[in-house]
Amino acid sequence: MEDEDIEKAVLAYLRKKGLNLTELALQEEQSRLSSDASHSRSQNVADRYFDGYSRLRSWAYNSLDSYKHELLCVLYPVFIHCFMDLVEQGYMQEARTFFHTFREDHEMMHLRDLQKLEGILSPSHLEEMELARFLRQNKVKIRLCQYSYGLLLQFIHKKSLDMLGVINQHINFEVTPGQPTSISDDSEAVSLVGASQDLEREINQKELHWGLLEDSVEERMEKALSDSDKTEVEGNKEGDPEENNKKKTDGNKQGTSVSNKKKKDKMVGATGKTTRSETSMVSVAPRVKSELTLPQLPPEVELSIFEDLRNRAQLNSLALPSVSFYTFRHTHNGLNCSAISHDGSLVAGGFSDSSVKVWDMAKIGQPGRASNSQGENRSMQGMHSLASDEAKRPYSLLQGHSGPVYSVSFSPFADFLLSSSSDNTIRLWSTRLNANLVCYKGHNFPVWDAQFSPVGHYFATASHDRTARVWSMERIQPLRVMAGHLSDVDCVQWHPNCNYIVTGSSDKTVRLWDVQSGECARLFIGHRSMVLSLAISPDGRFMASGDEDGTIIMWDLSTGRSVSPIMGHNSCVWTLAFSCEGTLLASGSADCMVKLWDVTSSMKALKTDESISGPTSRLRLLKALPTKSTPVYNLRFTRRNLLFAAGALSVGS
Amino acid sequence: MSIVPKETIEVIAQSIGIPNLSPDVALALAPDVEYRLREIIQEAIKCMRHSKRTVLTTDDMDSALNLRNIEPIYGFASGDPLKFKRAIGHKDLFYLDDREVDFKEVIDAPLPKAPLDTAVVTHWLAIEGVQPAIPENPPIEAIVAPQDGKKMDHGKDDLPVDLKLPIKHVLSRELQLYFDKIGELILLRPETALFKEALLSLAKDSGLHPLVPYFSYFIADEVSRNLSNLSILFALMRVLKSLLSNPHIHIEPYLHQMMPSIITCLVAKRVGEQVSDNHWAIRDFAAKLVASICRRYGHVYHNLQSRLTKTLIHAFLDPSKALTQHYGAIRGLSALGPSVVRLLILPNLETYMQLLEPEMQLEKQKNELKRKEACRVYGSLLLAAGSCLYDRLRLFPGLLSPPDRQPWKTNKKIALTHLPKNKRKASSTLNSHQPPTKKLAVDPTGANSQFPSTDGPATSSSSGSNPNHHHSHNSSNNNSSNAGNTTNTNTNINNATGGGVHAQRVSGSAVLRQAWKEDMDAGHLLSSLHSLFGEGIFSFIQPAEMHCFI
Repeated sequence: MEDEDIEKAVLAYLRKKGLNLTELALQEEQSRLSSDASHSRSQNVADRYFDGYSRLRSWAYNSLDSYKHELLCVLYPVFIHCFMDLVEQGYMQEARTFFHTFREDHEMMHLRDLQKLEGILSPSHLEEMELARFLRQNKVKIRLCQYSYGLLLQFIHKKSLDMLGVINQHINFEVTPGQPTSISDDSEAVSLVGASQDLEREINQKELHWGLLEDSVEERMEKALSDSDKTEVEGNKEGDPEENNKKKTDGNKQGTSVSNKKKKDKMVGATGKTTRSETSMVSVAPRVKSELTLPQLPPEVELSIFEDLRNRAQLNSLALPSVSFYTFRHTHNGLNCSAISHDGSLVAGGFSDSSVKVWDMAKIGQPGRASNSQGENRSMQGMHSLASDEAKRPYSLLQGHSGPVYSVSFSPFADFLLSSSSDNTIRLWSTRLNANLVCYKGHNFPVWDAQFSPVGHYFATASHDRTARVWSMERIQPLRVMAGHLSDVDCVQWHPNCNYIVTGSSDKTVRLWDVQSGECARLFIGHRSMVLSLAISPDGRFMASGDEDGTIIMWDLSTGRSVSPIMGHNSCVWTLAFSCEGTLLASGSADCMVKLWDVTSSMKALKTDESISGPTSRLRLLKALPTKSTPVYNLRFTRRNLLFAAGALSVGS
Repeated sequence: MSIVPKETIEVIAQSIGIPNLSPDVALALAPDVEYRLREIIQEAIKCMRHSKRTVLTTDDMDSALNLRNIEPIYGFASGDPLKFKRAIGHKDLFYLDDREVDFKEVIDAPLPKAPLDTAVVTHWLAIEGVQPAIPENPPIEAIVAPQDGKKMDHGKDDLPVDLKLPIKHVLSRELQLYFDKIGELILLRPETALFKEALLSLAKDSGLHPLVPYFSYFIADEVSRNLSNLSILFALMRVLKSLLSNPHIHIEPYLHQMMPSIITCLVAKRVGEQVSDNHWAIRDFAAKLVASICRRYGHVYHNLQSRLTKTLIHAFLDPSKALTQHYGAIRGLSALGPSVVRLLILPNLETYMQLLEPEMQLEKQKNELKRKEACRVYGSLLLAAGSCLYDRLRLFPGLLSPPDRQPWKTNKKIALTHLPKNKRKASSTLNSHQPPTKKLAVDPTGANSQFPSTDGPATSSSSGSNPNHHHSHNSSNNNSSNAGNTTNTNTNINNATGGGVHAQRVSGSAVLRQAWKEDMDAGHLLSSLHSLFGEGIFSFIQPAEMHCFI
């Protein structure tokens, strides 16, 4: 204030005296000084960040080997927050320079995030960009051992006080006593998500009933078997785990009838063969009651399922499945998605020209008798007249959408087909009538994925509007809206017991939702890029997820821990499928490969040392089956364990 | 500061009708433009992923713009990726080649072909985890590790195509020229003196080894192609012979490629263009070649000879095969040595003769050509049997000297076991030989036709011709006894076809009896052969032995 007064007085004095030149010179000098000051101040700030960070960096890189990897974890959050601090304070140029100087240190681990953050060019962007906002709002959690933490504190207090602010503001240290964690623990992968880890922990502590539905067809099948043939019942091995599981699940899901039945089984099973014990992994899982009202199965369908189950090929690491490949030709890059019915007889493709095409493979096999077989064909009775004018085409064309179709899904018995499109709608088609039945509107943005539930009737959708929704066929409004993902929900999959759905998102997380309550029941953090495909093992305990980079991660649903991240493919994993006993996992990718993974060995290892959290066990690659420049869009195990794959032949790439 | 320079903003502003944008505004806008661009690209990438693609297209950009409720950019929709061209003189300035198109051109142009409709085809990607080698699946080489691939190549060694590839690089220009020249000679001028020189060179030059696979392939190829061209076949066989005789060439690994073509030459149904061609010569040549190979490599490849004889005897015993093929088979077998003849031809001789005879008779076989062929076959049989007989008899050089008996006893025993078979064999074998040995076709046929009934005149007539032959060699025995003996044996044999032991004992002198006792098999052989061929067989018997038998 005083300065200003003096200045004014001086200026007034000069003006009064008419010393104009002197006044100008003074003003000029003043302005120069002030700009200098501001400039030097900005220089100072930038330099402080620059120096502070580079000092911390060189210190971390020169630290003791056994603690180095822990200390290096600190660098990345410090780096991005320094950058964002600079941006926030408006030093755009300096921020850029800073970013580019140290960028490559982190490119290997966090390339995608860096690419996004690079786009931040003004303080307002920080507010706008979800990732940046998320990072600013949440603290990063880093686990350090006691000694590393001590080292870090020592260094910061002595040499790099500038960084103290950044670290204090954005990093939560979780100090663990004892030895530093091993490098193989992928701490960096989770370091970014920070506070969401708390959320994750909180969510993942919820109770989860991952068991299978009681009174499922498989169970009835086995029951029927044991009734019809007393010698051919389940082995005694199978009885025991069921007993164990009953204890585990607090008995609240086990009806008296079930335990009665089991006793009977056990009695007979004591002398029974052990051959079935290995294969009936499905029945090992605990039973849960369905929280949804489930549709009744027509008896003839049930019979056909029985037949399929009886003829199921047993698969394991030694007996690999046969793979039949459906190649879409002449798609002109228009095929967006495909689906295969449960028995592989129907194949559907969703196209970017908003059409859906359905091929009946049984008919294609015998083109001469096409007209005859229509009459005979169980599913074709109703459409006889319709088919006659479309006889020229080998497929049935379903038109109705007004934008690219992003997913198609068959109902469990292939009588209905769902398609979701970028026109924000989901359409239900009848494969018998080849006609559109319902158009479901509810999403506000393109619907990326739609999946029928394992029992039919219900379906789940995932959309760009960051929600997943659960619908029933008879209502045009969704039954549940699952909101919580921070970015697009890219894929959705049902749990075999229909009480849960899992969703994969562009925010690199997978969530498990309780269908009844609509709440998030599990949060799985570990992917480094958008999650593209999901599959849940038939016993309902494990989940596999594949992402854009080709990584496949197995998760234990009950604990929420990842079992084994592997770089399964070189490119996007479009599809995953478990074999019917859950012994094999098949993955299909944009790198034109179908790969078969051994699930049993890695899972066994997990079951034995459940207490040890280390993701030591990994999926074992059993077989890689390359295709001829055909990216694999879809994989499906039939009930008889034949694997169907579908993909579009890509020409000239 | 941002990657979008403020000049760009100014240019864009001008293009949408804001002529004087203040630099401050441009500077402020530039970072935001970049941010929005990134945002849209991020959305476009999502659309790309959900279209299951890995290449960003203009459609993705359009749908990303749609997502943001922005008017898409029109005019760039295209199925193909856009082709950017570099502006000349600028390092990193690119532009889209956007040609002006005349409306008239578009209208006048014929309608483009309708694109093929989408179709689904199915194939087995794997059967129980194993990928079948079908065209729909990628080639296996792409999958397996390199060392496995090498192994496979090695396994396919017999496919000449595979061989050529790796060797091509090693082959020097000179060798290539040499190979081309030889090939040309074989195919175009097999009669010239130059070709003979070439054969010599092939038989003697060292350093030809790299060419062996080529030659073997070339020969196999050309033989199958030129079956109707005798001169080329002959040339090829000669080349083979030269190669086989070249001491510097390690030809063994390629034998399996060469054998089929030689055998083809030997037993092919038709060789040469016209029936009048002298295909007998090439069969003879091939037979010798086969035999020489067997002699040379038989001990290395134990099954070589057995496989060969199997093939030949098969051809020989199949009555549906042509006579020419029989001829080849007989020649081949007889070239392999008398023991082969004795074991394989002689047992079948009698039955075969019954087949052959009608073919040779003027009345029964009207076709002159067929009859000639039959005579040829007869001649070959006679030769084979005769040489076999000769070989047998030669084992008893001191037939007359008692001290030598001992070693033969063992011999006899072995032979005795074969005896019944041998006889029959012998009887059928000999038939074919007469024509080549005697140019008079009528005479032997006559003898033959009479043979089963054993007419006196026939024997006498044949003996009349034969004795002369023997006399020239024979000085110690007199003519008459010889002739008498002949008739005697003849009649004896004929009376007791098969087990004529008694007959012989009765008729022979003391010495002769001794001989029969000692060497019954030889005697039987002779007798049965004689019964089938008449005197034609005697030309194969050494005078001395002849004498003791007769």
